[in-house]
Amino acid sequence: MSRDMIIDLHPTDEQQMIADSIGGMLADLLPVDRLREESGHGGARERAMWSDIAELGIFGMGVPEADGGAGYGLPEEVIAARELGRVLASPSLLAQIAAVHLAEGEDRTALIAGETRAAFAAPGLGGDLFLYDGEGAGWIVLLDSGASLHRTDAFEWADAHAMDETLGISRTSPSPAPVTRHAIADQISLLISAALSGLAQSATDLAVDYAKQREQFGQPIGSFQAIKHSLADMRVRADAADSQARVAAVSFGLGGNDTSEVAAARWLAGNAAIKNAKASIQVHGGMGFTAECDAHLFLKRAHLLAGLGSSRRAEERRLIA
Amino acid sequence: MRLIEDPELDRFRAECRDWLEDHVPKGPRPPEGLALREYDLAWQRTQYEGGWAGVSWPEEYGGRGLSVLEQLIWHEEYARAGAPPSASMFVALSHAGPTIIVQGSDEQKTKYLPAILKGDENWCQGFSEPGAGSDLASLKTRGVVDGDCLVVTGTKIWTSYAEGANRQELLVRTNPEEPRHRGLTWIVCDMDLPGIDIRPITAMSGVTHFAQVFYDEVRIPLTNVVGEINKGWAIAMTTLGFERGTGTIAHQIELANGVERLIEAARETTDPATNRTLIADDAVAAKLAGLRAEVMALRSLTIASVSRGMREEVPGAEGNIPALYFGELTRRVNGAALEIFGCSALVRDGEHNWPLHYLESFKWAIGGGTSEIRRNVIGERVLDLPRGPRAI
Ligand SMILES: Cc1cc2nc3c(=O)[nH]c(=O)nc-3n(C[C@H](O)[C@H](O)[C@H](O)COP(=O)(O)OP(=O)(O)OC[C@H]3O[C@@H](n4cnc5c(N)ncnc54)[C@H](O)[C@@H]3O)c2cc1C
Repeated sequence: MSRDMIIDLHPTDEQQMIADSIGGMLADLLPVDRLREESGHGGARERAMWSDIAELGIFGMGVPEADGGAGYGLPEEVIAARELGRVLASPSLLAQIAAVHLAEGEDRTALIAGETRAAFAAPGLGGDLFLYDGEGAGWIVLLDSGASLHRTDAFEWADAHAMDETLGISRTSPSPAPVTRHAIADQISLLISAALSGLAQSATDLAVDYAKQREQFGQPIGSFQAIKHSLADMRVRADAADSQARVAAVSFGLGGNDTSEVAAARWLAGNAAIKNAKASIQVHGGMGFTAECDAHLFLKRAHLLAGLGSSRRAEERRLIA
Repeated sequence: MRLIEDPELDRFRAECRDWLEDHVPKGPRPPEGLALREYDLAWQRTQYEGGWAGVSWPEEYGGRGLSVLEQLIWHEEYARAGAPPSASMFVALSHAGPTIIVQGSDEQKTKYLPAILKGDENWCQGFSEPGAGSDLASLKTRGVVDGDCLVVTGTKIWTSYAEGANRQELLVRTNPEEPRHRGLTWIVCDMDLPGIDIRPITAMSGVTHFAQVFYDEVRIPLTNVVGEINKGWAIAMTTLGFERGTGTIAHQIELANGVERLIEAARETTDPATNRTLIADDAVAAKLAGLRAEVMALRSLTIASVSRGMREEVPGAEGNIPALYFGELTRRVNGAALEIFGCSALVRDGEHNWPLHYLESFKWAIGGGTSEIRRNVIGERVLDLPRGPRAI
């Protein structure tokens, strides 16, 4: 944000409606426990629901009405991304929003309607390029230093096995030369930040609920300060990440240092999501270490989103540039 | 989530900026003692004459009665102009004064409020005791009614700016039969009464801005009681809805400036071991980048808090979130100077006096509620977790 800007971070009535309707629908369509049964096929439910999700208007949220979108802006996209993060929705839903901004003409119309699908790809080290939940996606949104749109079949993909086994991941090599960063790459990074901040918040909710109900020594573990303080810190980190993502969204393109605002949002959100997911495992005790408990799903997804076309180091370089 | 565009507010900002530019004292501020008090009172007088005294106070009590957004602008411009922190005027302007506005009698309002705004009198806060800090309700200083006076005997500690203060908001135990927060009384104590002994305490930074205060049968007129005898806890805990999240803006901006000073110094300083600037060291750059992200988060949390303040009459427990973040971050920012500049940051006569800022930074996680107490409150009142053994 720039110097004299005054920002109201409270959602407008319309923004609250968007958050409530998307949040409510996603809670029904994509409850987090879906990822338990479908280990290895995460993203399947999203694929099956793609047109329902398109009907929520999420994909064309930031596109003018004249171009077939909903006519909102980055703040509303950030609200939607946050809700997607809360339910650990496939990153391909964010990739679809991103692809809409990179595509043109009929391609864009088809993406808004959910008739064609997009997925994220991002380079690793040593020339590897990874594709995340790319099954059936015709487009890839490639996140390197910048962001660019490619046809998925322009590459030969081989299956890989991700730490987050709820998502299919594939690999190719070599990765194309990185493109120059421009505003759209910052906007996409901000959406990923918002999803991470939503994840940080729902990891907190999960741990808080457990701490109220699990009893040891004759009392809920949430009455012990070691647990209570850890939960309070989780809440603070989630709020910090969320507030920064909102400020970056409202002020974007209005003359402040957008790259730095977004880098801060991404750094804070990655930090909050990973730390909160770890803390939630600890709050769950032995149960937290099992595959059966949802806590690990948050951890794996937090690492995946935090590293998607970025890294803590990359954001730090942007922040200090 | 939206940008607020209002030409009236722009005009207001220009007015604040112009006035501050012309009036903020230029000379160095004395670090402590009576000289500091005189300086702060003089600055308060200047603000009063300019119509800027008590920006958050309602107009009917002589304040400026600014809206939440106008306060936000005022505090931003205040910090940018490098205006002095409220320091020895803080208790009067942000706690005792507002408490009297909400709870005091008409007589008390007339007697105390104008003198605060005009910069004639400053106040201190006598709440904490050697045996009662976080657990304030366990305080023991006694107040016994004798005729038309309350006779106070005991001691208060960590009383900031007690030396030279005109008045004190004092919390004493008037009914020892009643447990804890029942049986307490909130009274205005004139600091020049016989039987008061003020012994300054030097902080680890070397600065002396608080004291232990001893009371030996100090006779305070009963007309100084605010509210009723034995009902003082409610007065001390009065929720003060005037500032609503804006009170910490100047601190937040100052901390952000502190990070920028660190970055600048790291850019200008050469590491003799590598012959490159310190910022060229990845570990240093990473550390500073993280701090920059965190001060931006603090700013955004403050904006979130002010946005809530625009809607709530009374601040909720969420206010502890930016406060906890600020206290912890302040220590990290000021500690970073020592990590980055090593032994060069351990001398006090350098351009930046890093040791002073480092040592002083510890207070923000202790005074006004420790980080641990804030975590308790966030856990119990924001997250609704079951209460611990704490009895308040
Ligand atoms: C710079 C400064 C200025 C001050 N100015 C004033 C002033 O003007 N007037 C005034 O009245 N007071 C003032 N104080 C006092 C301040 O309010 C107290 O220091 C503070 O409330 C903590 O109390 P304590 O020092 O007795 O520490 P304690 O309460 O003894 O705390 C010691 C440690 O125990 C922890 N602890 C205590 N209880 C709990 C709990 N329930 N759960 C978890 N941890 C706990 C604390 O967090 C802390 O780490 C000032 C303090 C400072 C540092």
